[in-house]
Amino acid sequence: MNRLRTGSLTALILSAAGIIYALIFNPPSWVVYGVAIFLIPVFILSIGILSMARPEEDEAEDRVDEPFIGY
Amino acid sequence: MGNIIVNVLIAFLIGSLLLGFQRKVMARIQRRPGPPVIQHLLHTLKFYVKESSFPRTAAMPFYVAIAATLCGIWISAVIIGPVLEGSLLLFFGIYALHKIVEHNAGSSSGSPYGKLSCVRAVFSAAAEMPLFAVLAIIYLQTRTMIISDIIGYQSIHGPLLLKLPLAAMMFFVLILSKAPYSPFSITKGKDIISGYETEHFGVLRGYLMISESIAWYMLLWIFLTVFIGGLSLPLYILGMVIITTITAFINATTPMLNPNHSVAIQVILAFVGIAGSIVLMLVM
Repeated sequence: MNRLRTGSLTALILSAAGIIYALIFNPPSWVVYGVAIFLIPVFILSIGILSMARPEEDEAEDRVDEPFIGY
Repeated sequence: MGNIIVNVLIAFLIGSLLLGFQRKVMARIQRRPGPPVIQHLLHTLKFYVKESSFPRTAAMPFYVAIAATLCGIWISAVIIGPVLEGSLLLFFGIYALHKIVEHNAGSSSGSPYGKLSCVRAVFSAAAEMPLFAVLAIIYLQTRTMIISDIIGYQSIHGPLLLKLPLAAMMFFVLILSKAPYSPFSITKGKDIISGYETEHFGVLRGYLMISESIAWYMLLWIFLTVFIGGLSLPLYILGMVIITTITAFINATTPMLNPNHSVAIQVILAFVGIAGSIVLMLVM
């Protein structure tokens, strides 16, 4: 889970930086469209993963590592 | 960039409220009080911050990436539509990608319900014929595929809804097939739980719901723009409310069709629409 949080935090910082760059520096259109199409979804997803509720520490393993083993 | 972000936010908020409104109307038709109009928005936010886990059977990172893809393609639709008023052909490509996302989201989760939905997504691709036919008919009438030119054509010749009513009907059936609880919504039929979304829960479900709200707004926006013309935001909202109400009536009073019947009916409607539209163009 820590890997997930670290990855999400990195994605959040990179996507926020890209979006702010496109907002402030007025780059060429294709850069703006690329940032919008790729970085806005990453930004939304990373915020979601970082803000989602966490399980209690003692039951984290059961809750996160789902016991379901497949069909 | 600011324009894109504002349009995406408008699409998400209005799309969410319209989907909530649809549930409310359906409930009233079925003589239930129903959830409040903001319920879809609240559900989206609730799932978005809910504790999540990832199934062991999920094909990572594909399982997460496919949800991000859905968001990306509908943000592309917002850029092509309200921001640029670009090509309708690109919109067709986006709609085709939506089908691929349904297919891949279903197959990536490892759930049998998702896999059934995945098969149905491929099966129902045949029902995209109406959309392709609509594009061809619009091109034959207006000689352009660019949305801004189609708006210009309508400002001179009047709404295409009056000239090509059967093409509008075909596009409406396509919108209907994307409405929740619709008779044509076979990929998310309740017989397969939530279809391709069954194993996408918590934050990923909230993420998918954000994309679906944008998708609903965009489908209605394209319909209104292509068949009525460029409108102001209040008129767009009024048109979207009317179409959402009509879909709610149909969904509340119609059982979900089995996959064979769903595709067959859409293909029959496409044939009727194509033949009828060509006859109308020749006569008028």
